[in-house]
Parts: sequence; C-alpha cells; structure tokens
Amino acid sequence: MTSVQAQHTFRKKILPKLVALAVTVGLATTANAQSNEAQLLGRLDQLAAELEKVKTELKTMKEQQASVAASSPAGAAYASSSASSAPATTLTAYGEIGYSRSSKNSSATRTDVGRFVTGFQHRFNDRTKVVAELEVEHAVTSSSDRGEVAVEQVYAEHRINQNFGARAGLFLIPLGLINQNHEPHTFYGVNRPTVETAIIPSTLREVGVQVFGEHDNGVSWSAGITTGFDLTKWDPLNGEGVESPLRTLHQEGQFAKSKDLSFFGAADWRGIPGLRVGAGVTAGKAGHGTVGFAAPRARTLLWDVHTQWTPGAWDFAAVYARGTISGAGALNKTFAGAPYLVPKTFDGWYAQAAYKFRLSGDYKVSPFVRFERVNTGRSFDGVVPGQNVNAYDTESIWTAGLNFYVAPTVVVKADYQRYKIVSDSNRFNLGLGFSF
Amino acid sequence: MRNLQWLPLLPVAALSTAIAPVHAVLYATVEEAAKRAFPEATTFKERELQLTADEMKALPADAGIAARALRFRALTALQGDKSIGIVVIDAVIGKFDLIDYAVGLDPSGKLRSVEILAYRESHGYEVRLPAWRKQFVGKDKRDKLRVSEDINNISGATMSATHVTDGVRRIVFAVDALNGLGRLN
Repeated sequence: MTSVQAQHTFRKKILPKLVALAVTVGLATTANAQSNEAQLLGRLDQLAAELEKVKTELKTMKEQQASVAASSPAGAAYASSSASSAPATTLTAYGEIGYSRSSKNSSATRTDVGRFVTGFQHRFNDRTKVVAELEVEHAVTSSSDRGEVAVEQVYAEHRINQNFGARAGLFLIPLGLINQNHEPHTFYGVNRPTVETAIIPSTLREVGVQVFGEHDNGVSWSAGITTGFDLTKWDPLNGEGVESPLRTLHQEGQFAKSKDLSFFGAADWRGIPGLRVGAGVTAGKAGHGTVGFAAPRARTLLWDVHTQWTPGAWDFAAVYARGTISGAGALNKTFAGAPYLVPKTFDGWYAQAAYKFRLSGDYKVSPFVRFERVNTGRSFDGVVPGQNVNAYDTESIWTAGLNFYVAPTVVVKADYQRYKIVSDSNRFNLGLGFSF
Repeated sequence: MRNLQWLPLLPVAALSTAIAPVHAVLYATVEEAAKRAFPEATTFKERELQLTADEMKALPADAGIAARALRFRALTALQGDKSIGIVVIDAVIGKFDLIDYAVGLDPSGKLRSVEILAYRESHGYEVRLPAWRKQFVGKDKRDKLRVSEDINNISGATMSATHVTDGVRRIVFAVDALNGLGRLN
C-alpha cells in the first residue's frame, strides 16, 4: 500500500470512528447528570474497547504500508516502468565521413560524406513499434550528382511474447556480422570489410514478413519471405557487377518485382558470454517471368557462416560468405564479348583481431588487423571461349589501423589497406563516424 | 517460387495462434527478481534509496556517475528481522529503449544477481541470457565492472551490454556510499 492510499484509508475509515468516539465521550459527559454511575462505566468500557480496536486497525495499516508490496509487478507499482511502457518516439542518426589517399595515384585522393542516415523509432506500447531510416549516400543527390537517397529500413515489429515476435516491411536481411549492425562504431576501419560489401552487399534489405525467436539457451533466429534479386537488372557493361555481383541485383523496395519471392533464415548462438556463432541464408528465383529474358529460371543463393569472440578486451571475428547465381548461362551467352558476365559463384572470407584499450574517461583506442580473401567471379556459366575469362583471381586484402573512440559511439578511424592484385587500390583512410 | 506461394501464410498463422493478451512483455516481476536474488529471504521491505548531489560528488570518478541526485526504488531482503541484502530496481537506455533491471547485493556490497525485468529493443535481447548475467555474480566495487574488461561484450548487442553494465556499476557504488553513510540500516 502506498502512503497516499494509507492516508486515504485513514481519512475514510478511521477518522470517522475517532470523531464518533470523541462525540460519544462528549455526549456521555453531558448525560452524566441524568444517568447512573453503573451505566456510565459500562459505556466507558465499551468506548475503551472501541478505541483499542481502532488502535489495532491503525497499527495493522502502518505495518502494511511499511512492508513491501513484494507481489507488485514491475510496471504496476512504480513510476519508471509504467512510464517506459507509454508511447515514445526516438530520433536516431548515424554518419560517416571518410578521406582516402591512394598510395600510387595521389590524384585519386577523395573525401566523401559516405553516409548520413537519420530516422526514428516510435513505440506504441511495449509490444509494438515502427522503425524507419532514411539514408543519403555521398552527400548530394541530383540529376548531375552521384549521391543516393534511400529508405534503408521501414518496418513494424510486434512482440507476441517474451520469446517470439514478427516484423513486416522493408528490413535488413540477417547475414554476416555487418548487415544488421553497421553503425560506424560497430566495425573496425573506415570501410566495412570487403567480404561484407562485395559478397554480402550490405546494407542488404528487402520487403517482406518475418518471424523471430529469442531463447534463454542463447539461440536467436529469424525466418521470412521477402522480395528477392532481379537478374534482369544485370548490365554487362557496368563494372559494379565485378565489385559486388548482388549489389546491382537487389531491389530494396523500389517497384520490386515480386513474382518470384525469396526466403531467408538465420540463426545465432550466444550461449557462452562473449561468443557468437551463426549462419544465414537467402535464396529464391530471380527471373520474375520476364518475357524474352534469357534466364527465366535463374536462381540466387547467398549464405554465410560467422563468428565473433570477445574475451575481455580482445575482439576476434571471422566470416565466410558465398553466393551462387545458377541458370544464367544462356543469359551470359547473349553477353558474349561484353566485359562483365554474371558469375555463377563468388565468395570470400575474413579474419580480424582487435584489442580495446580504455584510456581516461570515455576515451578508448582499438588497434586492429584484418585479412580478407575475396573472389567476385570464382566460376561462370555460358562463357564463350576466347571472349571472356573463366574465373577471376582471388584478391587478398590486408587492413591495419585503429579506431579511436572519443565517446562510446563517436569514433575517429585511421587505417591502411593493401591489395595483393589490384595494388592501385592501396590506400590510407581517415574517417569520422558517429551514431545515436 | 510457385511451390512456395503458401509460405507467406506461415507468419500470419503463427501470429494468429500465438497472440497473447496485450500487456507489457515482462521477463521477470520485481518479486521474482528479488526472490531469485535472495531465495532464503522471508520478507522484502520496500524502501527508497537516495543520494544527494553532494554525496554523489564524493563517489570515485570510476563509478562513472554524473554528480546529480540519484534515487532508486529498492527492496530490503529480510530473514526474520535480519537484513540479508538489498535489491535495487533501475532502468537504462539500451540502444533506443529502456531496459528495466534489478540488481541484488549482499550486505558486503557483493553482487548476488542481475535480472532483466523488461526489454524492448529490436536487437540485443542477449543481455537477458542467464550465462551473460552470471558474469556479475560475486563482483563488487573493487572489480572493474566494465564491458570489454571483466564483463564480456555481446556481439551485436554492444550498446545494451555496455549500458546495463554501467548501470550495475553505478548501483554498486551508490549502495556502497549509502552503506558508508549508515543509511541502509
């Protein structure tokens, strides 16, 4: 019982009894002249008994007030919880600004506001919310600029109970370590790992529905149906397909062809503190019944296995990702002579180690090193001999540098990247990132 | 994907069969959290813990607490008339949303338990995992009580893990200060 409730009960129940007692005593005194002594004493005994009863009642109430309402559920008994289940809107943002100086060609040095993302999350109650993010890439978007404005996420989430929930809308596909957690403070180096941009085209998102589960044994999972890739978008003259085969094929909720849908499934296990082991897959058809298209039955498959191990200040991570576009041989034959064919398989892996030093206050510094092997065209279907290559070479990339955290989510980054084959890409990167 | 055309119905079916009454998604009530921390307690007595801004200033910088007045709801665990510890109720922002949690400490200021009462984020539920929370048990103000030091981080849930850990450290120091001031008796 709260003190307010106690006061209320005192006023309503006990005070009238006390008043009645006082009045009765007064009346009893007035009546003294007309009553005999025995009657008066009897009346006084009765009043004394009433007084004892009121005192006992008051004592019980005080004890109740002092002892805990241990049975009060969170959210009912105290202000902080009941306030937290009220509707709430949170403004969110993150941004990345990078400077990149080529080792071999200083004229290729560039500074770019790579991403600025702002959004909101509105929670209707403890179970239901919407999340939306609007992204601007490369600072300026117009008919003569190279920037891009995109909705990165917009979905509704509903929790069914403490273990299960569902989401619907445009959401991130759970693959690798970066796709869902890509704010600048969450990864090492100015640029995201190449494997998680070239093979897994982060930030990969599609429109769909999903169910998810979170369990006390450390297993979390999600599965759903989404729009998939669109192979009719492949341009054999556009080199972007070499950098990342699936980046040119994703649909991201823009008039997405939906005749063929994809499914995805992902699971992670975090049963040991600091350890995460997981895998994800998305697959589906990518021809969409397009009339006259040479690869109507083409299929895409993208999967990964990943792990992160963070004992104390150490942070070790490794990812292997592999993509397949099958049934595109006939399409490649129509591209004979063009520079960029649709790869049948592409894959990559990386291993990374970092150490977090806490300096004074919020300052932290994390030196790191990452080694990657990436091949965006391990094999091809439908190659016309003499006109196209059968396979690309596998690139090796070393990245070493440090993240300097001036606040937990504000980070200054510096690193050097060394490419074994395309050594023109060797560069020094400097970056600033934040998120809230 | 013609053979998968019925699949979109799956989540709908799952939702329609599993919809529970609408109330907050709670992982533990305060009572459950208190009983898990002190199963041997016979009663719990509700109280409020308060430190003034000046008292907060006296705390070591390591506590990581802003020098402003602090107020917690708490339950004293009693075995008969004897106090055997305290359970402090608090909330921190995870990434975007509040995480309600309860911290149990024995009379020497050693952590007995950390329980998550309510979690509302889309990602990072792993702070709820018993194995992660167990890392706090037995630690006190002499420990660092920091993520990436003596508390292992959670991949993909760094913000929730860090903020809960910072909150627990703040409670450990606040309870220690109150103990020193003789205000827990």
